[in-house]
Amino acid sequence: MRTELSANKVKGDFLAKVVELSGESILACYQCGCCSAGCPVAEEMDLLPNQVIRYVQLGFEDELMKSKTIWLCASCFQCHARCPRGIDISKIMDALRQMALGSGPDRCGPDEISAAELAGAPQQALVTVVRKLGN
Amino acid sequence: MKLPYYPGCTLKDRTSQLENTALAAAAKLGVELQEIPNWTCCGAVYPVSETRIMNLVAPIRILKEIGESGADRVVTICDFCYNVLKRANRAILDDDVKRTRVNLFLSDDDRRWAASGRKVGEGEAYDGGVKVLHYLEMLRDQVGFEKMAAAVERPLENLRLAPYYGCNLLRPAQEMNFDDPEDPSIMEDFIGHLGGRVAAFPYRTECCGSFLGISSPAAARRLSHTILASAQKNGADAVVLSCPMCFYNLETKQKELIREFPGFQPIPVFFFTQLLAFALGRDAETLGFEEHYVDPLPLLQERVSA
Repeated sequence: MRTELSANKVKGDFLAKVVELSGESILACYQCGCCSAGCPVAEEMDLLPNQVIRYVQLGFEDELMKSKTIWLCASCFQCHARCPRGIDISKIMDALRQMALGSGPDRCGPDEISAAELAGAPQQALVTVVRKLGN
Repeated sequence: MKLPYYPGCTLKDRTSQLENTALAAAAKLGVELQEIPNWTCCGAVYPVSETRIMNLVAPIRILKEIGESGADRVVTICDFCYNVLKRANRAILDDDVKRTRVNLFLSDDDRRWAASGRKVGEGEAYDGGVKVLHYLEMLRDQVGFEKMAAAVERPLENLRLAPYYGCNLLRPAQEMNFDDPEDPSIMEDFIGHLGGRVAAFPYRTECCGSFLGISSPAAARRLSHTILASAQKNGADAVVLSCPMCFYNLETKQKELIREFPGFQPIPVFFFTQLLAFALGRDAETLGFEEHYVDPLPLLQERVSA
């Protein structure tokens, strides 16, 4: 995978937007990797949690908006529990999802849920998935 | 002792066995859980966005009503509701901006409280005065595990149980303050006081997949299989948990795990309240096992003296 660093991206306003939406000190991350080590879904992700933070720091908005990772975060907070700097990575994932969804289509809204799931899944699962992955 | 009780959506329908056994067991231990009237959905997930403060109205309205009815605490059984309500309350206590804005939104609410008939929008601003308790905390702190143990009629002596905590009870630990997030012990204590044996296993605080069970089901199946296989490898006869979402991934979805993971043997999963009600004397046939994919009845009949 080819990644291009550029001063324009780094100096752009993407980092500031994510900081504002998430309320997290993204520049405090020193890439120790504890978040990725503890993430239960890291195996299915294309970008690891610590890579997501680094991408935010460097202004890689496009790559993040196109990643599978931000839709796989289960908000289990294990990353937050392990981070030595107290950063809530799941909150940053939530902010990135909010930006990706914008005012566009749901990633997983009520229409995307099968009839079987609607009939069998606990209500909290249905409400959670629509809130996390939709507008 | 009477305590206000907030059930949340899932307990009324998809996991009624959790509520039924919880209320029955509480009654046997001298606690009457009184369902608050006309409650509304808490929102299911704590809204973490710093800009969408409106999302806090749903959980805070619930707590405001409880406060205005004169109570200073509420018991929840659903882990998700517990996480949402407790964290929302923390936001009100710690964050001036959120407290001001949520109360401002609520002051516009023209609906009327069911119990008093007064308008939601009238009355004092909510200041975070209602304490949110999980049923397990209520058992440990209001009733006491010793008192619970003294009321046990059927000790679970020959059952090796793997306690599964999941995420919502423990994390984020700074806000939940429920137990040690890496090495919790409340469920082990609970099992021990019911006379049961604990099957320790390393995945008890790992996520079951949560809503990925719907949006990324293959990932959720892998997580659930890892947890269950580890419990079995460490000698568990059954898994004990508290969260309806975890139950869906770890129990209901076992019917998919047997197809995807050759060699996977189904394992019974209990809600902790089912075991509690059983230990306190309720018949195994009345614990709601018809809602389960893997029937735990044979295990109980075989291992626990009648």
